[in-house]
Amino acid sequence: MSLFFQVILDGLWAGLLYGLIAAGLSLIWGVMDVLNFAHGDFLMVGMYVSFFLGFLFKADPLVSWVASGIFLFLFGMLTYKLVISRILGKAMAPLLATFGLSMMVKNLVLNRFSPNFRILESTILEGRSFMVGDVIVPLPQFVTSLFALAVLGLLYWMLTRTRFGWAVQATALDGEAARLMGVNTEKIFLLVFGIGGACVGIAGGLLPSYLATHPDVGTLFSLIAFMIVAMGGFGSVPGALVAAVMVGLIESLAGFYIGPVYKYIAVFGIYLVVILIRPKGLFGW
Amino acid sequence: MRKIAAVILALALIASAGAQDKVIKIGTLFPMTGPVATAGQRCQAAVETIVDIINGVYPDLDLPIAKKAGLLDGYRIELVKADHQGKPDVAKSEAERLYGQEGVFAVIGSYNSSASKPASAVAERLQKIFMCGASSSAALTERDLKYFFRLAPTDRIEAIEFVHWFDELNKSKKAGIKTVGVIYENTEFGKHAADEAKAHAQKAGYKVVADVPFTVGATNLNSEIQKLKAANPDALFGAVLGADYSLMVRTMKQFKWKPKIAINFCSGYQDQKINEQLGKDGWGFMGSAGYTPEFGSRFMKGVAPVEAYFMKKVGVPFDSNSIQEAVAMYVLALAIEKAGTLDTEKVAEVLRTATFDSPLSMGGKVKFESPGGQNIMARSVISQLQDGAYKTVFPYEYKDAAPIYPIPKW
Amino acid sequence: MDYKKLLSKFGWPLLLVALAALPLAGLVGPGFSSHVLITVLLTAAMAQAWNLIGGYGGQVSFGHSVFFGIGAYGAAFAVCVGKTSPWPGMIVGAVLAAVTAVIVSYPCFKLKGHYFAIATFAVVEIFNRVFMIWDWVGGAVGLDYTILEDGWRNFTWSVDKRGYYLGALVLFALVFTITRVIERSRFGYYLRAVREGQETAESLGVNSTGVKLTAMALSAFLAALCGAFFAQYNFRVDPPMVMSLDMSMKFVLVAILGGIGTFWGPLLGALVLIPLQEYSRAYLAKLGSGVDLIIFGLIIILMMVYQPGGILGILTGSRKRQARLRARLAAEGGAK
Repeated sequence: MSLFFQVILDGLWAGLLYGLIAAGLSLIWGVMDVLNFAHGDFLMVGMYVSFFLGFLFKADPLVSWVASGIFLFLFGMLTYKLVISRILGKAMAPLLATFGLSMMVKNLVLNRFSPNFRILESTILEGRSFMVGDVIVPLPQFVTSLFALAVLGLLYWMLTRTRFGWAVQATALDGEAARLMGVNTEKIFLLVFGIGGACVGIAGGLLPSYLATHPDVGTLFSLIAFMIVAMGGFGSVPGALVAAVMVGLIESLAGFYIGPVYKYIAVFGIYLVVILIRPKGLFGW
Repeated sequence: MRKIAAVILALALIASAGAQDKVIKIGTLFPMTGPVATAGQRCQAAVETIVDIINGVYPDLDLPIAKKAGLLDGYRIELVKADHQGKPDVAKSEAERLYGQEGVFAVIGSYNSSASKPASAVAERLQKIFMCGASSSAALTERDLKYFFRLAPTDRIEAIEFVHWFDELNKSKKAGIKTVGVIYENTEFGKHAADEAKAHAQKAGYKVVADVPFTVGATNLNSEIQKLKAANPDALFGAVLGADYSLMVRTMKQFKWKPKIAINFCSGYQDQKINEQLGKDGWGFMGSAGYTPEFGSRFMKGVAPVEAYFMKKVGVPFDSNSIQEAVAMYVLALAIEKAGTLDTEKVAEVLRTATFDSPLSMGGKVKFESPGGQNIMARSVISQLQDGAYKTVFPYEYKDAAPIYPIPKW
Repeated sequence: MDYKKLLSKFGWPLLLVALAALPLAGLVGPGFSSHVLITVLLTAAMAQAWNLIGGYGGQVSFGHSVFFGIGAYGAAFAVCVGKTSPWPGMIVGAVLAAVTAVIVSYPCFKLKGHYFAIATFAVVEIFNRVFMIWDWVGGAVGLDYTILEDGWRNFTWSVDKRGYYLGALVLFALVFTITRVIERSRFGYYLRAVREGQETAESLGVNSTGVKLTAMALSAFLAALCGAFFAQYNFRVDPPMVMSLDMSMKFVLVAILGGIGTFWGPLLGALVLIPLQEYSRAYLAKLGSGVDLIIFGLIIILMMVYQPGGILGILTGSRKRQARLRARLAAEGGAK
């Protein structure tokens, strides 16, 4: 029985990590209907920032996540300004443009930093864990999950309780009307892309505690994030969280009880099942 | 088809003979981008190192090719470098381009077995030489090819050696290894190695209790390690490259599980950089090695000076894969010298029949069986990471240190 | 001179004649340039097959590598496991691909915009992983061809590329001719009507589901034939080679960068992108790894930002056409 709880909890931490990564993607999609194909590469960049701070200055990921978050905030805004702003609203164009961006970023990193896998030799959290009964709770994943909840909670609070958040929601619901009401939608889009980047940057900042950094590290995370935001539903950040936890649990349960090689088949499969029952995702509008 | 090949060959000869400099073009075909780019870049650097030595005069190196500049009658070697990006279709067209457009005399490559297969098929059809250093799939030399020569031992040879080692441990140390498990990346390399491991373990009477494939680049290996922990095999075979290797070790640590003995095919374990970074966590793991710096300093004294030049290029010492690519270039050069000509047929005949002295090879010699092309003198030893160094533990004539068995718990 | 009218009437047949004449003029040798030419024709055929459902039909699918892969496996299975000629395998593969397309698309067509796109990602990933563990078709190891006798029966050649060239040309001609015929037929009008507005089309009596499914099945059939060619050309098939997101993106990018929903778009896209891809990989290697892909990525971004109408848009350049294409792309996305 305790094995079952182990599998469940493993899935929970994995799901919350996915949720943190997906939060930014969901926000961007909800506000400007843009699916950022380069999202996984943003994650990768965040990991490199954190890795280099650790490698060069012995900064622990528990501290360097701030730097990663800020770096990706700026990077996100830059992406919006240079690329997205010019093609907003043109359906498939932003998706393909971000695909091109993904290719560029990934190979720029490959070119400059070589394909070598980088691991931080000793971080505060790495390898540590605590027990809950018979169940092992690994500390890096647990802490990342706490961050995920904190960030998502903060995001939700910002969207629903602050004026800025209301402006964002208004822009998302009806950009034209929002503009007529005096909302500077251009600035909203810019900041939203930045915040979306920051969220995934924070995730990237924490990951070097246990994951190796290399140019391809973001690929699978990216795909899973897409599943999650679509499953959660357009325009719903809480939906993304629920979907993320679902995905984490399914991945863990399928991986253990059916077979590890079915992990991702189950994840992508569950997306198809959910979306066909609810074509707008769990909480989408 | 022979006519076309003969025409191409004649043109290549004319081109190389009638060219301004006396140049022998050799092609390299490795994954310079893509998921295994690190290994590919190191392999290419290894070939470059040997080419530099051939082209120059290095009186301090005790190798025949280092004593004079160039090969034969003053021919310089010029490398034409190609990238197959880890894709078999690109490997095929790049091989064609190298032999055709670029007119290379031979190609050295391609690390990934899935790329080496189509590339060497191209070579065979064109009746051109293909030297394969480190691709490990046994199938490559089961095609009865006449122009294909592979240096490294195969996954099959290594699997047999691993199982032999278990038998030895059981006999001499009463190790009590009865059950085995396999964890492997679900790719051409991983699946092939795993199949060999399972087959030979079963043949020797061990029970396979866990078969755990995983996706390369997985976001976590939780289910995989949990499954292994639940089955708790005495011995674990691993066919895991690069980043996944460190994730595997770290996840094992998190779930506080280790088998009594963990032994690995290829790459992840052998990567010096990864083991530096894993630190203490990586100690105790075992794996096959066609070369380690520690082994080299005792039994392959000829390597160190060459390795110095290699390290200038990539910053790490040789590993089992990169050194085989160096040997590939080295043996090809020796064969050209011995044949005394750049006639592909004559050089290939030398490769098929002669025994070469290779200070860069474990065991010191290289001999290919023909047809097929496997280097039947390919050796590897089993090493174990002890205190950060690769100590050879088997076979006994090369023993560096006693094996630590069972590997200490976390 | 009204180029458009001339091009429209004689362009296509003239081009085919010119292309067919190349080998007769001895211009198709065993070299790299022939490889590039063959790849251009194949990629153009692939993109045009996609264009049927993606461009004319307005359903941007990222799942075409599944059909491509089924075709490839069909041929490879016949050769490696069945030890026979690939031709029956090709046909079986193409039919299976069409059937798969219908089964998978029928539920997916309920989805709009990005939901549909993501669903197609999911389909590719699922098929890829299933094929990776399916030992009957080789699993992760894939299927390798032994050295076969040259010729049409086996559809392989070891050095001479003229057979491959002819095969690629026939495939190219097939796909483009079918597209031409559809473009000018009632079915084509229905298809475009569904793309522009499904409810409106239905209200006028068009069976939108039937139309979309037919286009999808045809698109899949043709994509599978391209996949079979690919397997025969490369003597090998494994899941990452054919059933990957990268391969899917090739279908999509070439069609869109060339000019989505247009007849010449796929050819223009292939004509520009393939030589770029092949030559930059071969000759820019000295600048370090990945430079060709950095350039490729940059080109995609620039294209999408400045000329979403693709290369055709650049060539025709008229403002009105651009506005029409933009409207079409906006409609492509569907409602939220």
